[in-house]
Amino acid sequence: MTIAVSGRVDTVTAPELEASLNFGDATCVVIDLAGVPYMSSAGLRLLLASHKKMLAKGGELQIANAQEAVREVLDITGFSGILNLV
Amino acid sequence: MTFATSKFNSFLPAATFAMAAEFLMGLSDSIICGHILGETGLSAVNLMQLVFELVTFVGMMVTVGTSVLFATELGALHVRRAQGYFTLGTISAVAFGLLTAAVLAAVRTPVIAAFGASQAVSSMAASYWLWFLPAAALQPLAFYLGAMCYADGDARLSFCSYLAQLLGNCLMSVPLTMAYGAAGCAVGTGLGSLAAIVVLLFHFRRKGCMLGWSRHFIFADILKISGKSFGDASKNIGKAALMFALNAYVIAKFGSEMLPVLAVVVMTIGISEMFNGVANAAQPLASVYIGEKNPVLTKRVMHAALVASLVEGGGVMLLLLAFPGLMLSLVGISSPATVPEARLAVRIVSASLPSLSLVLLFNSYYVFIGRERLSSIMTILAVFGLPVALFPLFGSCWGAHGVWGALGLAPALALGLVALYVLARGGRSGFPFLLPKGREAALRAFDLELDPVSICGVSASVGAHLGANGVMGRRASKAALLVEEALMVVHDRNSGRRVKAEVTVDLNDGLMIVLRDDGVIFNITDADARVSSLRGYLVSNLMTAIPVRRNLTTTGFNRNVFKL
Repeated sequence: MTIAVSGRVDTVTAPELEASLNFGDATCVVIDLAGVPYMSSAGLRLLLASHKKMLAKGGELQIANAQEAVREVLDITGFSGILNLV
Repeated sequence: MTFATSKFNSFLPAATFAMAAEFLMGLSDSIICGHILGETGLSAVNLMQLVFELVTFVGMMVTVGTSVLFATELGALHVRRAQGYFTLGTISAVAFGLLTAAVLAAVRTPVIAAFGASQAVSSMAASYWLWFLPAAALQPLAFYLGAMCYADGDARLSFCSYLAQLLGNCLMSVPLTMAYGAAGCAVGTGLGSLAAIVVLLFHFRRKGCMLGWSRHFIFADILKISGKSFGDASKNIGKAALMFALNAYVIAKFGSEMLPVLAVVVMTIGISEMFNGVANAAQPLASVYIGEKNPVLTKRVMHAALVASLVEGGGVMLLLLAFPGLMLSLVGISSPATVPEARLAVRIVSASLPSLSLVLLFNSYYVFIGRERLSSIMTILAVFGLPVALFPLFGSCWGAHGVWGALGLAPALALGLVALYVLARGGRSGFPFLLPKGREAALRAFDLELDPVSICGVSASVGAHLGANGVMGRRASKAALLVEEALMVVHDRNSGRRVKAEVTVDLNDGLMIVLRDDGVIFNITDADARVSSLRGYLVSNLMTAIPVRRNLTTTGFNRNVFKL
């Protein structure tokens, strides 16, 4: 299952995104961040929560096509070593 | 309302009340001695005006320059240098206070003899003078510490110190005067100054107090302090010279019977002293922005000050035009022969108040930006040069009405002449603030009240602004991220409080972000701060990734500076 996200993911928009995410029974979910130019800690929290949720049911979450700026946030926080970046 | 404007507005009442309290302090000993000791006591204290002016002048010569230089250096993030000025100012205030007391002690007898007053008045004045010496030593320090606390953002304590001085003086002077005469009144004045100093010492216990000791100064800085102070003090020198010339001219031309009318005219002009509160309210903020080399925010504060100045000057003018009798009742003029002329004089002279208000504001402002000479020339022109040139001319054409007319017109004329000069020097774009050109285009300031929606909005705007100015990718994104995360941390630390903030993006020398907020004082740039959330963790890591960053509590607000 691939979910394409677009736009800024910040303190205001992250809760809206979280409410709209539904992984169903999928065991492998790819979140495509090609359309995300900016992500703050609220977006990171969402990715981490999704990652833990998938791990809990024996599945896998992959983060794809992160833009340079988003990748830097993942690097600064060390999340790039925790999440599966493809 | 912007951060700068709201902070200026929050400083304005305290600054204006402080000026009112100072005005009342100047009158309190006369009122107390007049009521308790009668006309002899009043005359004795009035002989002391020279001494009061000298002590005030000494205090101003240290205070104005130090407070402007202190705030400007803090604005430039030179903490040790700012504290060096504070240290030097404190040493100077103490030394000049002691020196003034010593000089006053030495000249007491010959000066009192030179007044040529009656034996009873001279004896009372000598007694007052002797016991006023401790107050003369203390007052420059009280005046100085009050202004420095104010420059450090503690407007409330500064105001409390004025109240303590006023109330302390009155509460102690009344019983002491009743018991010991004029000497007791002088002791009460000294105790009032001591009370003010004690109150001001509480500022050093305040979190975020930037007044501290540093050896980072050279004694040549005394000249720098005095140079700035002199620009501001020029209005007092100009006014004193005008009063001398006016008295001499009016007595010679119209006789002593016109002196009560002149007293009302002088008091009407004297009201303009209260307008100094506007410049005092603008000074801490404007000096910091000048130190930051930020003409956008400097102008923002000064525009607010300009409006306040016009409102105050215009408001008082309208009040006096409608009710000139207010001034007459203050000095007790009720003689039918004098009242009509005095009422007309008040109405005519009140026309000068809006211009005088602006002159006083720009007198201080041009000192802030290092144009002391322009400041002095404008002020001397407005309060001495043009009035003295015009009133004999107008007086010979239209009599006493012409003299009052000259006084009403001169400040506006001086302001017009200076405006023409400033336009010629700085062009229309530099008028009237004369700030360095070329920095404004690369500066952008955003104002907000902290809540998640406005924080994210400003963060997005910062990103878009940087993109539009050629700063792309990781750098722009890091700046937007810094704004959102840092301000959200401030928002979380101040839950339940309304916090105003200001974000400045400066592209003049690389990319610099300045975050300012009026929330609880804390250091967001500390990379080793305790982390209790993912956001805190990200901010902590961001701080490590931004090596050039400074936190400085400035004028009582958090100020964080980042170079990306």
